[in-house]
Amino acid sequence: MSIVAKKICNFKINDQEVTAPEGMPILDAAQRNGFSITNLCFNRKLKPFAACRTCMVEVKDDGKKELVYSCTHPVSEGIEVQINTQETDRYNNACLELLLVEHPLDCPICDKSGICPLQDNTEAMGIYDGRFEIKRRNEPSIKTNPIIEFYLNRCIMCGMCVRVCDETQGVQALDFHRRGYGVVIGTANEEPLDCEFCGQCITVCPTGALNDLTSQARGLAALFKNTYSTCNYCSWGCTVKLETKSGQLIRIEADETLGLGINDGNLCAKGRFGHGFVQSEKRLKVPMANVGGSFQEITWSEAIQTIAERLQSTVNRNGPAGVAGIASEKMTNEEAYLFQKLFRKSLGSNQVTNLQNIRAPYVNEFMQKCFDNGIESKPVTELENSDVVLIFNSDLPSEYPVGGNSVRKGVIFTGTDIILANPRKVIFKSEAQNQIELTFSVGSDMALANSLSKIIIDKKLVDLNKAQKAVPNYGDWVKSLDSYSSDQAQRLTGLSDDQLTKAAECFAKPADRYVLVGNDILENAQGESALNALLNLCILVHSGGEGSVSVYPPREHCNSQGVNDMGVTPQYLPGYKKIDKNSSAALAKAWGIEKLDLDQANHAESLFENCISGDIKALFISGEDPLTSYYKGSLVKDALKTVPFLIVQDSFMSPTAEMADIILPSCSFAEKDGTFTNMTRHIQPIREAVLPEGSARPEFDVLQELAEALGKPFNAGSIEEVQKEIEDVVPEYKGAFKGKGSPQWKPSQTGSNPGFAISEDYKEPKEQKGFPFRLITNNHMFHIGNYTQHCDALNTVSGEQSVQINRKDAQTQKIATGDKVKVESKNHSTVLTAEVNGVSAPGTVYIAKNWVEHSINLFRNGEEGYVPVKISKAE
Amino acid sequence: MTTTETEVKEETPPEEEEFDYSKVEEIIDSLPQKSRRHLIPVLQRIQGAYRFLPEEALEVLMEELRISRAEIYGVISFYPGLMITEPGKYILKVCIGTACFVKGCEIICNKVNEKYHIKVGETDENKLFTLQTASCMGNCGAAPILVVGDDFYGNLDPEETLSTLGSYEDKE
Repeated sequence: MSIVAKKICNFKINDQEVTAPEGMPILDAAQRNGFSITNLCFNRKLKPFAACRTCMVEVKDDGKKELVYSCTHPVSEGIEVQINTQETDRYNNACLELLLVEHPLDCPICDKSGICPLQDNTEAMGIYDGRFEIKRRNEPSIKTNPIIEFYLNRCIMCGMCVRVCDETQGVQALDFHRRGYGVVIGTANEEPLDCEFCGQCITVCPTGALNDLTSQARGLAALFKNTYSTCNYCSWGCTVKLETKSGQLIRIEADETLGLGINDGNLCAKGRFGHGFVQSEKRLKVPMANVGGSFQEITWSEAIQTIAERLQSTVNRNGPAGVAGIASEKMTNEEAYLFQKLFRKSLGSNQVTNLQNIRAPYVNEFMQKCFDNGIESKPVTELENSDVVLIFNSDLPSEYPVGGNSVRKGVIFTGTDIILANPRKVIFKSEAQNQIELTFSVGSDMALANSLSKIIIDKKLVDLNKAQKAVPNYGDWVKSLDSYSSDQAQRLTGLSDDQLTKAAECFAKPADRYVLVGNDILENAQGESALNALLNLCILVHSGGEGSVSVYPPREHCNSQGVNDMGVTPQYLPGYKKIDKNSSAALAKAWGIEKLDLDQANHAESLFENCISGDIKALFISGEDPLTSYYKGSLVKDALKTVPFLIVQDSFMSPTAEMADIILPSCSFAEKDGTFTNMTRHIQPIREAVLPEGSARPEFDVLQELAEALGKPFNAGSIEEVQKEIEDVVPEYKGAFKGKGSPQWKPSQTGSNPGFAISEDYKEPKEQKGFPFRLITNNHMFHIGNYTQHCDALNTVSGEQSVQINRKDAQTQKIATGDKVKVESKNHSTVLTAEVNGVSAPGTVYIAKNWVEHSINLFRNGEEGYVPVKISKAE
Repeated sequence: MTTTETEVKEETPPEEEEFDYSKVEEIIDSLPQKSRRHLIPVLQRIQGAYRFLPEEALEVLMEELRISRAEIYGVISFYPGLMITEPGKYILKVCIGTACFVKGCEIICNKVNEKYHIKVGETDENKLFTLQTASCMGNCGAAPILVVGDDFYGNLDPEETLSTLGSYEDKE
């Protein structure tokens, strides 16, 4: 909730007492209280518009009767609302009848048939024989882009698509054109649609004028089988509706039902159109063994047997620490839990981890430190009610597009202020009255956060006495900020004093604050210190300021949070329990064994290095392609070459899988049951919608069989049983698996150990001779690296991988958009197409990662931080 | 779409004349605030400066006022007075109000079409005339009315349309 509470009004609808916050449109209040009013153009996410004129109600205010449109008329104390009076029906019916003059009534072949408000309203009002002569339009459908079809004959000019594109997505790709009798919805000059392809317009369109061209079937969406699940791409955790027909995954839709999921019926391009991979021809369908350099099909029992024997013999010969496992950040919680259980219980090895944890183990610590300081962070559904949002080092429309939707909703309905801090001049379009843009010098994340803290302290923007009392090491921390004088802060961050002060004032004012941290921060050579600096800023306003602060650790994939919660890390057992005698004993009890005897080695922390050194003899990679996605590609290559036995479980052949000894085909998210935990700690179900491709099997089953083959079977067999065991072992997850909600797990203890995280000094990035540019890379709006490359729809809209260069740099190098440019680091070089713009700061180049053709991680050669590169025009 | 800002044309091919950005920049700079509230007056002033709304000027406007292409063209398509192509040297306005209609405005339009091959909204090959219609000029006593550029012709004999226009051709 925003710190400004809204007054609650008492009033009557159809003589029934109801309540609603002041200012809410009558229509919204009625719907929330279980009444229905005819309407076609109202959506609670959007500003009232009153285009369709079919929602008239009668309102008595102080005895005075009025006929009003319920979508724009706000509720107020004591009013009496009557729905469906004779008089309002007459007006509402007439408007519906007029719409039916032009609307084609081709319902049997319309995607919206069965879920169409025009159908529902016509039915509800009993309009079966209109009075007017039918006069249909006959325009051809417009298919000038590969994803969204415009069939404007069905359009009723409600303006929902135009508004959602502007207000929710901030893109404004659509507008009304040729207003008047010939008005149509469309793009400028009928150019092909070129937008973020979020497809929100398809969801909100009430009549099927906008259609999803990636859909494998047309018409009667109501007859498709709907399976509610959770998106398998980024860590935001959107609820998706998988629509299937005859065993085929037809399409993915959003569902705007109030209170369903955390995404308010919003999806992005990846989530909505990225379903092509599920039933792709290229899926791995059978287990395979590498026999003398070529892969040969084997049976599942052969595969399981071989793996069990090899793992067991490695343990016998080299000890449990000789086997290690990387669990995918896309595994379900149940699978991740079994994964670490297989290693810890059946093999006695503690060498389990996940890719984010290898790269940045400090992210989990960051979360722990938030809890220690009493920063529990609210559910993300409250983001739309926040007063201030700090978007720190995240290109939100690319990284968490639906997060951007919530922020924009907050801007419209709560008046949220936005602070956008990024080394690139990324665009976040919103209607915010106060949007502070801090385009800071590359790498100075930490200096920026510390400078903001310093300003808040110097200007006493929060109650410093309160902060000092609440946090023991306050004095030491303040002292450590001494070097951030105004001059120094301006020099390091490249921002003016005025900008910094404005941002500090905005962040420190009494407010409910949200901090959204992007994964870009891990690129920083001092990522840990940068996160700590940000944490300290949050602790300062949390302990000294008014309102609240919510901050979440940066996570990349759909279950990056969950795999860590489930203890797939060498540092923690499930539930972030330190590995000590007590917690090991508790775990042993839950697992029905006498004693949990874990190896004392720590090979997983530097897993790839330890593969090369020979300490790890067998590696089980489940659902990851580190050769492409881990930030040090060449290190992984050496590691996988060296490790004697490599098992890869994946849905597709990948560069990593090609180096495996045994490949196991795994199920996609649409073919299995389980739960994902998103970055904001909401636990949400995924459900089986289609049968697995070929003989692919869920990791869940495979892990069970492996445990059996190792002679130490798990004591819990079904998913429900495993969930019950998780609830016992990780008390925070108690009750999280039941029902259809999206519960957020709460830390069992908060505020127990407050303290600022005082870290090293800021080191300015060093120049590397001959390589004057810094390479910045992150996920693209259409690609996130797990399987998006196998989705044709996303490939067609994303085009080819490009390198973004600042205008000034391009001018000196005589490079124009479309030119081929050679990008070189000490380690690697590649040729890409240039995209010249003002987004990248001078002295930096930006390449989105996760295109398979050009592996960006090969540019890095051991070093941390932004990779120095040079660019030149390729011949 | 990637997260690039709206593209400003990177380079103009050498054979084309360099676009004169100074006029549009001056117009935008003179605004009390850079807000979409001022869209219509700005469009009018840009058209006043360039005689129509050149794409290059609109791109600057989109970037400065943070308006999308769709929105800007949505507004332009509503007003026949706003033009996105360069009009002829003289804009012909044929009144098609009731009185002018009775007095033969259709003949005027046909005559223009016969000689210059332009229909309403079009410009002839030599970029001399652009044909437009007007709903009523408020001077029905002088019907039919033809306006050529800034010159007003009342009580025009439709048969003399071409000779009237011929004098403008001679001026070239």
